[in-house]
Amino acid sequence: MNRQARREVSRKYFSEERLAEHHFRSFNAFLERGMMDVVEEKATIETDIGDKEGEEPVYVELGGVRVETPRVREADGSEELLFPQEARLRNITYSAPVFMEMSIVRGGEEEEEVVVDTAETKVGRMPIMVGSSKCNIAELSDEDLVEIGEDPVDPGGYFIVNGSERVLMTSEDLAPNKILAEYDTKYGDEIQVAKTFSQRRGYRALVLCERNREGLLEVSFPSVSGSVNFVTLVRALGLESDEEIVHRVSDDPEIVKFMLENLEEAEVQTQEQAIEALGKRVAGGQGKNYQLKRANYVIDRYLLPHLHEEGAEEEEVRMNKAYYLCRMAEACFELALQRRDSDDKDHYANKRLKVSGDLMKDLFRTALNKLARDVKYQLERANMRNRNLTVNTVVRSDVLTERLEHPIATGNWVGGRSGVSQLVDRTDYMGVLSHLRRLRSPLSRSQPHFEARDLHATQWGRICPSETPEGPNCGLVKNFAQAMELSQNVEDEQSLKRELASMGVEGIPGIDSVDATPADD
Amino acid sequence: MSEARSPQGCPECDGHLGFEAGETVCTDCGLVVSEYRIDHGPEWRSFADDDRNPARTGAPLTRSRHDRGLSTEIGRSTRIKGRKRRQFARMRRQHNRARISTKRERNQVYAFTEIRRVTSALSLPNHIRDQACSLFESAQNEDLLRGRSLEGFAAACVYAACRVAGVSRSVEEVCDVSKATESEHQAAYGALNRDLGLPVAPADPTEYLPRFATKLGLDSDTERRAREYVADARDEGLVGGKNPCGVAAACLYTAARDRGEDCTQAEAADVADVTPVTLRKTYVALRE
Repeated sequence: MNRQARREVSRKYFSEERLAEHHFRSFNAFLERGMMDVVEEKATIETDIGDKEGEEPVYVELGGVRVETPRVREADGSEELLFPQEARLRNITYSAPVFMEMSIVRGGEEEEEVVVDTAETKVGRMPIMVGSSKCNIAELSDEDLVEIGEDPVDPGGYFIVNGSERVLMTSEDLAPNKILAEYDTKYGDEIQVAKTFSQRRGYRALVLCERNREGLLEVSFPSVSGSVNFVTLVRALGLESDEEIVHRVSDDPEIVKFMLENLEEAEVQTQEQAIEALGKRVAGGQGKNYQLKRANYVIDRYLLPHLHEEGAEEEEVRMNKAYYLCRMAEACFELALQRRDSDDKDHYANKRLKVSGDLMKDLFRTALNKLARDVKYQLERANMRNRNLTVNTVVRSDVLTERLEHPIATGNWVGGRSGVSQLVDRTDYMGVLSHLRRLRSPLSRSQPHFEARDLHATQWGRICPSETPEGPNCGLVKNFAQAMELSQNVEDEQSLKRELASMGVEGIPGIDSVDATPADD
Repeated sequence: MSEARSPQGCPECDGHLGFEAGETVCTDCGLVVSEYRIDHGPEWRSFADDDRNPARTGAPLTRSRHDRGLSTEIGRSTRIKGRKRRQFARMRRQHNRARISTKRERNQVYAFTEIRRVTSALSLPNHIRDQACSLFESAQNEDLLRGRSLEGFAAACVYAACRVAGVSRSVEEVCDVSKATESEHQAAYGALNRDLGLPVAPADPTEYLPRFATKLGLDSDTERRAREYVADARDEGLVGGKNPCGVAAACLYTAARDRGEDCTQAEAADVADVTPVTLRKTYVALRE
């Protein structure tokens, strides 16, 4: 292509508001599906009503959420559509009311379940991204935009909170649910580690599989201090026989040799023994029954949570976890035998970008939990004082609003991250564009991290090779390449899994198939 | 402190006193008159974020919390483990128990949460919320709560604060989102009005106009016209003794009719929570 043609293509490419496209797509997806997903995860709010004798339990069922377009409520009670410019000038928040269907249900154990009250109520206000599908200026023509005092060439893609424009900084995280094998040193010896950041519904758990200097495998995961023997854990998950464990790890003769060493050292032989041994680790010094209960709870809740599947058999999920652990073991051994190199953390295949929609989803999740706790408290209070339980009188809409606005206004996100939202750089037009297309690595800027700061070959076509700040942030703050396209995760994982199953992938839990083999990440 | 503030001379030699870095020193003989004094000089602090941010330490005092927002909370940390963590959990529990010491305070906490909830449900501004809270406190000081319900008082305080501020909400609107029944509200409001001497005049129908107009989807010209009708009605003596909501709805309805906007009597009456008959009375009177 000659220069002229390239210029033509470039022009066409950027003529359709593609500059902040990644923000819009992400935030729109959050409004359309993300919010509903979060509510469906929560599904109900349980209360302590009914713990006493002769009282029927009460819980709240959460239903559909609906977001209107931004509007402002004046002190005199009138409500009007709000446009971004008015929000900027009056120092107010460009946010839209959120409504949710809730029904209070009483009964369940002895009596029949009765819906006491059901209503769609305003639960709070959601800050709306300028230019997104719920924005009041989304469909306006250039003339109309000028009419209401809006800049027609403004790219949008930011929020307005208390009159200041805040952009949510895209963050570059390590890909979750992937096995990363690497070398590490412990007590001066080189050991091999396979890592997985297992992530599901905002819960993130780091699972480590180490091959220590004796060649024994150890696994560590949250809620267990220290590490657990690999064979014990796999047996607790239901993979009992020596043969099967070895077979699941690898058929390679040298790895088999390593595996047999491990099996020789095994402390337990059956699943029951294994769960007992695990129970001693997670609830040492407690009663036997509690130890078993706790052990089962821990492996179902905290071990590799991303392998959980709605509606799948517990057994199947556990088996899948065992297979996944075997894959991690294999990665360790292959690294030890130098069959493979350690995984490159800076490779862009091992990176995921968290754009505004993902960040808002995290925020909305904690905000909804806070709201749920408040509703629970209000319900218990109302019940204690013998009041009628109605949806309208137990929802405090400022709880959610505050939880959503405050992080955007200050940049202090949930999970202790700070500087997530930044004041839009209005130095000049290019400054705005650059700011909206900036991304930040969560690595500390005070440490060297030379590899992370280097330009990686896989950044080709994705990240601009030259635009990065000087000084401590060099190489940690990056900017998108011109024609970068950001792909999004699949909308419907179930259908993807079904498709994979129909193409011959076996052993996906929740999908009927003949034989069970581990599903890769 | 009083010594340092009064412009006296040195107690020893009547010399000139100088103020420096929190110390009051006689510039003649060098006697340190006072060591601890509040330094009124510029504070040593940089406004890192942006210079419009006046925040110094924490949130400002607010009347809408029983402790004026000056609470201490024992936080959680993932870094401390084991024994220390359990100790903090115990301290947190004891602290939470000790936070509310009297029945009176407990009532206040409950009523203030209820007031917050009602004001947020009605989308009222913060100053109304604060005023409602301080009204509640005065009611408590006057011992009005005895034998009346907390919820009723919470609702009544919000209602009264709105009335006083000239942004009236109808009793029905407040009671709808409140946990109180209408009779509880009435009892509490009666007591408030009687014993605290609230400066409330009968609600002006114009206070309701903007709200009803947006609910009915009428534009601002119609609203302005309705405002004129209200003024006319007041001059003709049609407002006294009538439900101001009904008068407002009737004026809006009349104005909408004049301008040919789509609005039925039933709709207008529904928005104002009155019967169409009430509306019609004023409407007919206005037409005459």
